[in-house]
Amino acid sequence: MSAGSATEVGATTAAAPATAATAATTARFDPYASATDVPRRRFLHHLNPLATVLGPLPAMVLLLFTRSIPQPLAFLALAVLLLLVGAAVAPRRALGLAVAGIAMVALLTASFGFWADPRHAAGTTVLLWIGDYRLLEGSLLTGLATALRLTAVVALTLIGGLTSSGVDLVRALVQHARLPYRIGYTALAAFRFVPRFRYELDVIRAAHRVRGMTGGRGPIAAVRRQFSYVIPLLAGAIRHAERVAHAMDSRAFGAFRTRTERHRIPFRARDVVFIALFWLATAAILLLL
Amino acid sequence: MTTPPHSTPSVDASAASTRSTASPVAAAATETPLPLEVRGLRIRHEDRPRWTPDGVDLEVRLGEVVLLLGPSGSGKSTLASALNGLTPQSIPADMQGTVRVAGIGTDHESVGRLSAHVAMVFQDPDAQIVTGTVLDEVCFGPENLLVPAEEVLERAEAALRRVGLWERRDENPDRLSGGGRQRLAIAAALALRAPLIVLDEPTANLDPAGIDEVYAALAELVATGDHALVLIEHNLDAAMQLVDRVLVLDGLGRVAASGPAREVLTERAEELHDLGVWLPESTLAALRLRAAGIHLDPLPLTPADLTRALDAIELPEPRTRVAERERESISAAAEGRANGTAADTVAPPASDLALDVRGLALSRGGVPVLHDVDLALGRGRFLALVGENGAGKTSLLQAIAGVIRAPKGRIRVAGLDPATTDARRLADRIGFVFQNPEHQFIRGTVADELAHGLELRRVDPDEIATRVEAMLARVDLGELRDVHPFLLSGGQKRRLSVGTALITGAEVLALDEPTFGQDRARAAELLDILDDLVAGGTTVIAVTHDLQLVADHASDTAVLAGGRVLAAGETGRILAGDELERAGLRRPPLATALGGLTRHPAWRGLTRMADLP
Repeated sequence: MSAGSATEVGATTAAAPATAATAATTARFDPYASATDVPRRRFLHHLNPLATVLGPLPAMVLLLFTRSIPQPLAFLALAVLLLLVGAAVAPRRALGLAVAGIAMVALLTASFGFWADPRHAAGTTVLLWIGDYRLLEGSLLTGLATALRLTAVVALTLIGGLTSSGVDLVRALVQHARLPYRIGYTALAAFRFVPRFRYELDVIRAAHRVRGMTGGRGPIAAVRRQFSYVIPLLAGAIRHAERVAHAMDSRAFGAFRTRTERHRIPFRARDVVFIALFWLATAAILLLL
Repeated sequence: MTTPPHSTPSVDASAASTRSTASPVAAAATETPLPLEVRGLRIRHEDRPRWTPDGVDLEVRLGEVVLLLGPSGSGKSTLASALNGLTPQSIPADMQGTVRVAGIGTDHESVGRLSAHVAMVFQDPDAQIVTGTVLDEVCFGPENLLVPAEEVLERAEAALRRVGLWERRDENPDRLSGGGRQRLAIAAALALRAPLIVLDEPTANLDPAGIDEVYAALAELVATGDHALVLIEHNLDAAMQLVDRVLVLDGLGRVAASGPAREVLTERAEELHDLGVWLPESTLAALRLRAAGIHLDPLPLTPADLTRALDAIELPEPRTRVAERERESISAAAEGRANGTAADTVAPPASDLALDVRGLALSRGGVPVLHDVDLALGRGRFLALVGENGAGKTSLLQAIAGVIRAPKGRIRVAGLDPATTDARRLADRIGFVFQNPEHQFIRGTVADELAHGLELRRVDPDEIATRVEAMLARVDLGELRDVHPFLLSGGQKRRLSVGTALITGAEVLALDEPTFGQDRARAAELLDILDDLVAGGTTVIAVTHDLQLVADHASDTAVLAGGRVLAAGETGRILAGDELERAGLRRPPLATALGGLTRHPAWRGLTRMADLP
């Protein structure tokens, strides 16, 4: 991780290789990534993260109970439209998400369709005969409905997920939702553990391989192998967590009930408007479709 | 020497006197309290029988730098953790005596609120970074202290500029080098605006460039005279330039010495050495010379001191050793293209080679890490792989030991190609010791851990028992045979991991940073074992940052930079050349001191403690 020897103040050139290497790893998921220079018309990024979570929330709850096809389809369309207009997503990533979404619908439709109890779809057209098994049109439609519901829920969470950082969501929760900052910021600090543990697990695997744990074959040996990684990983994790906790204590974490917030995450009129419009749209879809 | 001009107590006194002019009557009462005042401090952890530290008194004034010294187990880190109340508030322990920071007893205020008066910098840079950007990290402390937002930014800018990270304020701290992250930790401490800063082994996890970075930042900080520093540090060669006073604890945690650094270290050097306290290499060299009848007065503390002292006196001719060492030297064909640095010695027949690497190139995760590496090593030698972080040392070592896959036909180690040999057969010939020995432990007791490799190979149970017994004795863990490996001390874990790597009869032992983050007593213990192994015919290959260790123990050295072997060959020759500097490393202290001699040219090429009379 630390390749460059940046002795000088701005020795960015010396540190460039390290930067390139870590950039690749952090690109996957960076809870700290901040959306500072997103163009204004990508409005979702300029809303309070609470608004992008609260707006779609009733729709998500509703989707848990709906059984029809048009409703989830409408919510899915709404979410996709909002994301297309209001979210700054790199074209490659957008394409990836679209492909993943379509694949998800297809896969879930097929599997739910095959597993669905045919009695619920009795009387509909038989699409496929395999021996005793009959795939009914009704089953497939039930599968499609379920697939659309799940995909729509995912798309609705992406409205908040793609447009605000974890840090900002925590800040907004602390500032507007009375979440104790000790809980919010501890959760954020815990994000830093993930890459460290991933690296540590790789090293432990390699170490056990060197010791000759590769020997056994089959599922029991595999389970035993996984289990043998747990103790060293946990021992390291507990020690690390303890050190981080001491370092945070030593820097006044939890000294007072509140803390200075340098980054205000304002809750403005536009946030209220967004939530209200979203709820209206939700009600309209519920009533009309 | 190095006592900074500001470090006199008068700084404090004058600060108090400026105030007293305003209200002379109240002067005595309102005198600024000391940044740190410790009285009769004794600490005992819940499960320990002894008090360590045991009865410490310490006063630190503004502008002073106090170094805590003592053998491992003397309670230095415990003492440091008591200075901001972590012990006993977060780390449960019995505590007697008082600790006052800026006049406030650590038993009267929580750790968090005390941080306005005492800031901490810990050993592991990764374990003290909690936010996502350099700027947020420095703001974290003041924000928790409810400092107004504008002042938070003001403090953060001042602190980041002081350690040279202001330009990188928007970056994720992960992108900084180890030295950079530790400077960030110092900036985070500065932003608390606490008069006292406690640093517990701030450079133990850093490479030489990182250590220099941190000490450069600390030197600037000390020069302002605004802070009092309490420092725990094993690398005295780097620290001596800053330190005013030392407090030495003995093995029982009692104060063995306390006073001005130069006075204590020079006048009581032998006594401290016997206590197990690590002294600067230059002082150790002078002690060795004294035993040989060459007296240096006063005792040198830095390489520059040693150079000056030796140039001032007559010296006998050093023992000639170059000739006999040259004869057994290996061929190490370094990357010869640049300037024909290929080793001048003739390569021994291939069968005598423990290691033969030719034209090895390697990528990890799509990033090339090694280019065209050639390296050869005879049996029964000790090869050190040195280089900056990211130079490819560990990748090379792991490729040699088969931990990561290398291309076929490029490496022969102990007669095998790790790319085409299965893990178990390879482990018969080459043992690998990871940086953190815990990672390698699989079984529930020390004895089972040693038996594991033999059981996998279906060795006869009686034979296993005999060999485990012998290995327990060899790594000195006989009494701990039924203990869980994770319950051993750091040094014991390391010895066990070496034992497990060797028990299958490996003739080559590869070690990744065997002394990283350890104190010198444990390091010395391990090096004794390695020296014994080498004397017994085992070939040792170790990645290390400790160049004095290289000078004293390694027969051969390969310098890596940017994934290439910059130079390889007999250690004395490498240390005398300029390749270390070209690879971004520093020469070890003894070589630096002796290399600067003007009056004794015959001494100039010496690098090992053992070369001295």
